[in-house]
Amino acid sequence: MEIYLQQLPQQLVNGLTLGGVYALIAIGYTMVYGILSMLNFAHGEVYMIGGFAGWWVLYLLSRGNVPIVNASLVISLMLIIAMAITGLLGMTIERFAYRPLRKAPRMNLLLSALGVSIFLQNMVLTYQGAKARFFHVSSLIPESIRVFHIGSVVLSFMRILVIVVAFLLMALLTIMIKKTKVGKAMRATAQDTEAATFMGIDVDRIIVLVFLIGSALGGAAGALVGLLFTQVDYYVGFQVGLKGFTAAVLGGIGNIFGAMIGGILLGLVESLATTFFPATYKDVVAFVILIIVLIFRPWGLMGEKIPEKV
Amino acid sequence: MDQDFTKKGWNKRDKVILVAAIGVSLAILPHLMPNNYWLRIYTMTGLFVMLALGLNVVAGFAGLLDLAYVAFFGIGGYSYAFLSSNHFNIHLPFLLVLPLSAFLTMGFGFALGATSLRLKGDYLAIVTLAFAQIFKLLLLNLDRPVNITGGVNGIYNLDSINFFGLRVESPVAYSYIIWFFAIVVILGSFRIKKSRLGRGWEAIREDELAAETMGVNTTWMKLLAFAAGAFIAGASGTLFASFQESVFPNNFDFPQLVIIYCMVILGGLGNIVGVVLGAILLSILPEFLREYGAYRMMSYGLILIVLMALRPQGILGEIGLFTKGKTRPDKDGTGVLRASTDLYYSEREQIGQLGTPQYSMTDRPILELENVTMNFGGLTAVNDLSFTLHEKEILSIIGPNGAGKTTLFNLISGIYPPNSGKVFFKGADIAGLKPHQVVEAGIARTFQNLRLFNNMSVLDNAKVSQFPRTKSGPISILFHFPRHKKEEMETEKIAKDMLSLFGTRLTGYRFDQKALFLSYANRRRLEIARALSTSAKLLMLDEPSAGMNPQETIEITNFIKKLRDLYGYTIIVIEHKLNVVKTISDRVIVLDYGSKIAEGGYEEVANNKQVIEAYLGRKRN
Repeated sequence: MEIYLQQLPQQLVNGLTLGGVYALIAIGYTMVYGILSMLNFAHGEVYMIGGFAGWWVLYLLSRGNVPIVNASLVISLMLIIAMAITGLLGMTIERFAYRPLRKAPRMNLLLSALGVSIFLQNMVLTYQGAKARFFHVSSLIPESIRVFHIGSVVLSFMRILVIVVAFLLMALLTIMIKKTKVGKAMRATAQDTEAATFMGIDVDRIIVLVFLIGSALGGAAGALVGLLFTQVDYYVGFQVGLKGFTAAVLGGIGNIFGAMIGGILLGLVESLATTFFPATYKDVVAFVILIIVLIFRPWGLMGEKIPEKV
Repeated sequence: MDQDFTKKGWNKRDKVILVAAIGVSLAILPHLMPNNYWLRIYTMTGLFVMLALGLNVVAGFAGLLDLAYVAFFGIGGYSYAFLSSNHFNIHLPFLLVLPLSAFLTMGFGFALGATSLRLKGDYLAIVTLAFAQIFKLLLLNLDRPVNITGGVNGIYNLDSINFFGLRVESPVAYSYIIWFFAIVVILGSFRIKKSRLGRGWEAIREDELAAETMGVNTTWMKLLAFAAGAFIAGASGTLFASFQESVFPNNFDFPQLVIIYCMVILGGLGNIVGVVLGAILLSILPEFLREYGAYRMMSYGLILIVLMALRPQGILGEIGLFTKGKTRPDKDGTGVLRASTDLYYSEREQIGQLGTPQYSMTDRPILELENVTMNFGGLTAVNDLSFTLHEKEILSIIGPNGAGKTTLFNLISGIYPPNSGKVFFKGADIAGLKPHQVVEAGIARTFQNLRLFNNMSVLDNAKVSQFPRTKSGPISILFHFPRHKKEEMETEKIAKDMLSLFGTRLTGYRFDQKALFLSYANRRRLEIARALSTSAKLLMLDEPSAGMNPQETIEITNFIKKLRDLYGYTIIVIEHKLNVVKTISDRVIVLDYGSKIAEGGYEEVANNKQVIEAYLGRKRN
């Protein structure tokens, strides 16, 4: 037991980092679900492509694993380009795979999403290969600030970066949704798409915007994870995507702030679980949580049950 | 009168030719394969046909997006690996392992169904996906500390199939064995589809709530769908393992699932012939495109996207390729064009047949509500409501919009359990029963906003609601036991009788038409016929004349009276058209804000001051 207590602060820090990433992904799921009531199966692949985009930026800006420009510029460009590419990708997916099916049965939409997921995953496999790509980040950060020791806790610069960027992006999104006119339109559309149309809101544009923002955040998460765990391959989107969805469900799907909290919660639980279970089973823990929550509290940990209207 | 011309499909001679052709080609094809490589593809095609048809039961018939299907395939495969190899040094004979693993997998299917029953659509998909992921992680990691699954390396050197000491090793023999099972599954699929189970599943796929209120035990049926799919997947897994003589986690991973889904969707969900063709096509086609191998999985993704956008019903879709000559839709069996408003004449015929009216008002209460209350959050939709309904009485429920009329129906039919109060039907408290139990007890209903099974034929709509009356199980259906045949004949007769109550409006060629293609008024009629096909004697009609023109309204009004006078039904009807209410009601209850504000004969209620206020508002003093 003592050893667990000793590990606890470290696991909390690890959990918070992971949680920030899950939260960013969960937001993408929850925003789309809030407006279209659909599970965007392809979101995990968007995250994966964000990781690849980040890798390419780093690769192109490095010579012999050493960046040729300022390191902070490299990291910023990685994030910005990853977000731009995934944002565009999200819009494209919406336009071609989901919009034609908006009035179709839900099952068709879900199958189409499954198709997008398979397509993207195998596209990356085909053109980028099955081998994992490594992020050579060691030369990005000067050795002096690479790792901090606070008591028994080891805190790497990258962890701090991930936490800061993730929370910054979430704060920006919160401001946008709470304070701006577009944010208000989004909330209205999520509550009642038809009524929003009657009030003069261009629902199509809002949906495109939701895909843009959600996917860009997923892409940012992909690039951040690349910096943190220094590798990406074509298959990562599947499991991480499923976890992002778990986080969204934990917080009550459709609820953006719930997704943030759900993501952090899942990250913490998973980190703590690794102290009790072999690391290979930490994914099993996440999926068991997903199953239990969906079966017993499908409206989330915080949300309220709404009786089905007949 | 309309037996012959609605008959479609194959006659006896066609059938013999078809069976002979398939038998001969199955016997010859393995010998025509140029080499062992193609023979292997031929055999795998049979396996995929089985797998796709198993998935077709869950996803196609019942409409459940089961993403754990591939895990069931795996359970079947690993069962054989555990029970017939050196891995645990157990060498059970194939003929024992096959049923064993099929039933074991079916058990897992039940378990998965039971845990995820309450979930629908996306949530069901994601939970089953999580189960599949857990299964795969266990396969990969259960090689330490004790080696159970063999981890990434799988289990190899499995026993080959062994019939009573006779080892089957030739690839040709294997192809015969696997195609034999594939044919069994194809035939079984056809039989199940045309049975009460197949109709029950289709009804769930079309509209789960309507299926439940028409007497289909949806909970049980969904479990059965999962179990049936798992059974076939498990058997396929065992066949696959014995054929490959090894199992690896990769054999049962997500890409395999996607391939099987593509086969089912390409063929058209629920369309057996289509699914078989889809499985054959997607097993063989990629072999011709080998040089583009890298693009193979990508193309599966594209297939899904494009099909869903352009042709969600699959390649065969509605092309009546395998349904033979239907008569022109504007003619009936006599070949004479008939107007659809000849109801009057057929009605006169029927009255002649049925003899004198049996109606007499009795005092026996059939339905009693005692202080029933239903709250939705802060809203009280039905407030402390009590009333009594007598046998063979027609009671109208009226009231302004939002008065709680439809909620009242939902309470009686079991869609909501009341927050408090009791509902007695024939002396027994039915509050809290599930809708299908209420139908079985003898109360059937229609819906205000039409909840037909749109993609099912008119006749099948009326057949579905006989689900509780019929009892044939899977075994009886698969082997065409006499009980099943007898039940099917009764079901057909009752359905046709009930549809004939509306003259020729729902008969003849319309038997085979999809409910979707009916006119609005005919859909309302079909809703009533569907409710009548249950054995219920208490009908609850929710706005039966809504959307009908004056002529049709008169017809339906007379029809409701006829149901009581001639056939002895007890009827509660929600109506907005007051002339209908005036004509048919023995008694009227007026609801406002969930409470009963008046009760009595039509004239009495119509002159009640409170009622006038509820409808028109209060006069200013």
